[in-house]
Amino acid sequence: MAAGGRSPALRVRELSVSFARSHGGQRGAVVPVQAVRDLTFDVAPGEVLGLIGESGSGKSTVGLAALGLHDMARTTVTGSIQVGGTEIVGAPEKRLCAVRGARAAMVFQDALAALSPFHSVGAQLAEAYRLHHPGTPRAEARRRATDMLERVAIPAARARDYPHQFSGGMRQRVMIAMALINSPQLLIADEPTTALDARVQRQVLRLLDELRQEHGTAVLLVTHDVGVVAEMADRMLVLRGGREVEQGSAQGLLGAAAKPYTRALIGAAPTLHTVPGTRLPTVDDPDPVPRSGHEAPPARAGARPAAAAATVSPIAEVRGLWVEFAARGSRLPGLRRAPVQAVRDVSLAIAPGETLGLVGESGSGKSTTARVLAGLQRPTSGSVHFDGRDISAAARHTRLRRELSREVQLVFQDPYASLNPRRTVEQIVTTPLLAHTNQRAAERRERAAWLLERVGLKTEHLARYPHEFSGGQRQRIGIARALAPAPRLLIADEPVSALDVSVQAQVLNLLMDLRDEFGLSLLFVSHDLAVVRHFCDRIAVLHGGEVVETGTRDAVFDHPSHDYTRELLAATL
Amino acid sequence: MLRYVFRRALQTAAVLLAITAATFGLFYAAPSDPALIACGPKCDTGQVEAVRHSMGLDQPIVQQYADYLRGLVAGRTIKDVDGTPIDCGAPCLGYSYTLHQPVSAAIADHLPVTLSLATGALAVILVLGIGTGLVSALRRGSRTDRLLSGFTLIGASVQIYFLGYALQYLLVYSTDLLPLPGYVPLADDAGGWAAGLLLPWLVLGFVNAAIFARLSRAQLLEVMHEGYVRTARGKGLSARRAHLKYTARGAAPPLVQLLGLEAGALFGGAFITETVFGLGGVGKLAVDAVVGNDLPTVVGTVLLAALCVVVFVAVADLVVAWLDPRVRLA
Repeated sequence: MAAGGRSPALRVRELSVSFARSHGGQRGAVVPVQAVRDLTFDVAPGEVLGLIGESGSGKSTVGLAALGLHDMARTTVTGSIQVGGTEIVGAPEKRLCAVRGARAAMVFQDALAALSPFHSVGAQLAEAYRLHHPGTPRAEARRRATDMLERVAIPAARARDYPHQFSGGMRQRVMIAMALINSPQLLIADEPTTALDARVQRQVLRLLDELRQEHGTAVLLVTHDVGVVAEMADRMLVLRGGREVEQGSAQGLLGAAAKPYTRALIGAAPTLHTVPGTRLPTVDDPDPVPRSGHEAPPARAGARPAAAAATVSPIAEVRGLWVEFAARGSRLPGLRRAPVQAVRDVSLAIAPGETLGLVGESGSGKSTTARVLAGLQRPTSGSVHFDGRDISAAARHTRLRRELSREVQLVFQDPYASLNPRRTVEQIVTTPLLAHTNQRAAERRERAAWLLERVGLKTEHLARYPHEFSGGQRQRIGIARALAPAPRLLIADEPVSALDVSVQAQVLNLLMDLRDEFGLSLLFVSHDLAVVRHFCDRIAVLHGGEVVETGTRDAVFDHPSHDYTRELLAATL
Repeated sequence: MLRYVFRRALQTAAVLLAITAATFGLFYAAPSDPALIACGPKCDTGQVEAVRHSMGLDQPIVQQYADYLRGLVAGRTIKDVDGTPIDCGAPCLGYSYTLHQPVSAAIADHLPVTLSLATGALAVILVLGIGTGLVSALRRGSRTDRLLSGFTLIGASVQIYFLGYALQYLLVYSTDLLPLPGYVPLADDAGGWAAGLLLPWLVLGFVNAAIFARLSRAQLLEVMHEGYVRTARGKGLSARRAHLKYTARGAAPPLVQLLGLEAGALFGGAFITETVFGLGGVGKLAVDAVVGNDLPTVVGTVLLAALCVVVFVAVADLVVAWLDPRVRLA
């Protein structure tokens, strides 16, 4: 199979990859971890194959192995990987260097980390070109670099700027331009848009698709996001635990997958067409019964009981909220820059039993608003009330904040960072009880055990430490901690965005159950419109620190009144 | 970059001014009377007062400080004990009544030794420290790595006076491999200069290299796994070239900063090494001045040491800013 026109751009046969995981450099007890097992697939020229799986499925390992970029000293690769007919497995570095960046190129997830902070973007592109066109004059390489940058809509004048001076979307476009400057036959894109806001993600994916067609490049698209695969891929391959679950045409699998795991993965992430408030399918339970079956009140679409109660006085309310942050820079008064206005004249109210969704892109002020309501951030001006009481001073007054935290609790985004690794689950969950009640140790322990059961964990988990749990379980612990003092308002700041889709579905299902069971009011902060639509009664859309639109879920999603909302909706995959 | 240099220069000047004020304050805070010391033990009260007047010590403190600063920048004329005027050139640090010469002249006499010692020791630190770190990082976990890390542990824990005397005994007295350490001006005899300082260089360098070896190993290992190094290899750079162009640059800033501190400390004088090898450098001058209550010399050497640290740290910061655009464009 030499340079035949129909030979695959990437041909993988019985690929297995294992890592020797050494513990702190100690000898002995080197247990190999099998990351990928017996994987076989082809990517035809010009085709997009979506390699989809959750964290730990080995999908990124496959991408790295295709260019021989893994840590050679610790990795064992067996089987065969051919890029345009050239064998990669076991190839000497010289042969790999000739393939990398020329015939096969890679786009990494986090462009800020993946681009050199020390060189201008133009210089980085020019280097990529000159490496594979030795003898090209520098001026010529620079010209090609700026041409390519302009192709991804970055003005030539910015070629001399450094990566940290660009926005996230622009950096990812630089990364794509650099990968495509030598017109490779194969592009490996590892989560190319995962860190980006929806609108930017849309732009970058469009651009990637255009360029791919221009250059006739085959793409191995590594992602956890079903939406991205649906948008981009011709075929898809589902990975779980390093093994293939199934592969086939993207259309076919998205419509009717044979394997339950694939079905769960596809159904786990709510879309703009999912019926709101329904139980989401999970990996253990790919075809769930509707939520209305249990003791919980029937959850027909858009008709949760408290939602309509607009006349009731709100449990929490902000009026005319402004939050400014002092700008970094000179301390001299004359040279001081204008402060950054994170929140500008925001007014919101949460009715008892209601879930308010706060949606916006990064930098829209949604987390800052949530922090003000939690009493953690001092407002620059405006009123903040909880249950009729003025709490705008809570950030400065320990006693007021303490009283407030009995009623208002938080669930955080990162379940790894938000639990103290040196405390047991029991200590973590009972801390709010210690602060707010006079319960004795045995009572606190009993309540903690009861809470753990409510969030789907077991009593015997009380004595364990956070590192013994998976991300989803940790988020459950965080929820149990938040519920411990029986708060009336729960503020959840991106509570599921750090989780895998199937775990996200479990946690969302859990939050929906708990909300009904405890009659909680919720402020749910998220960048993900589909999740917000699934979970919330009322929505406020934030843009540049201002509320551009508020309304009931159906009003906002079915008849958005603001252009920005429409743009966001159009960009949601 | 120019703005950054300007800002940094301004900061450095402010720090230096503060240091002159603090050292000048030391002059007054010290529990001794310069006039009495200068005059000698046999003086009566009247004579001491006369000396005090001729030294300018009866002026208000602010006036004296202003004179001192003016002397630093433009030089001035100082009166000796008996009132004879002494011309004290541009960086005038005062007059030592113990050594009977301007402090700047005393420092100038001792500076070549310190400069020679510090330069050589820095070279040893760079080669030995960073070289060791580089080899250990590239062969992480190997026997070489473990051997070298043991070696750096010895370097970090051994004392200069022990190592200095031991090596001097082994290499000079017992075996005649090296000549007796000593200072020969570089201009007179370059070979003799190097031979006489070789042992002090090695000892001072080895003891200080340990921390560089450890830091450079850790830095390289960390940066080696940065995304941009992987990207560089993904572009088609060989591992060696990717490490040279990207890893080295990413790992350098903390090393440069530590090197700046180290250089500042070394150029301010290395008393222990100078004493062990009988070298008359600035460190020895400073300690002798402290012992002999020679306050103008104490203040002068303290100021010099501070100047070295401040200047080298500033230079290191500039190098870091040049290496990393995120620093200079922040």
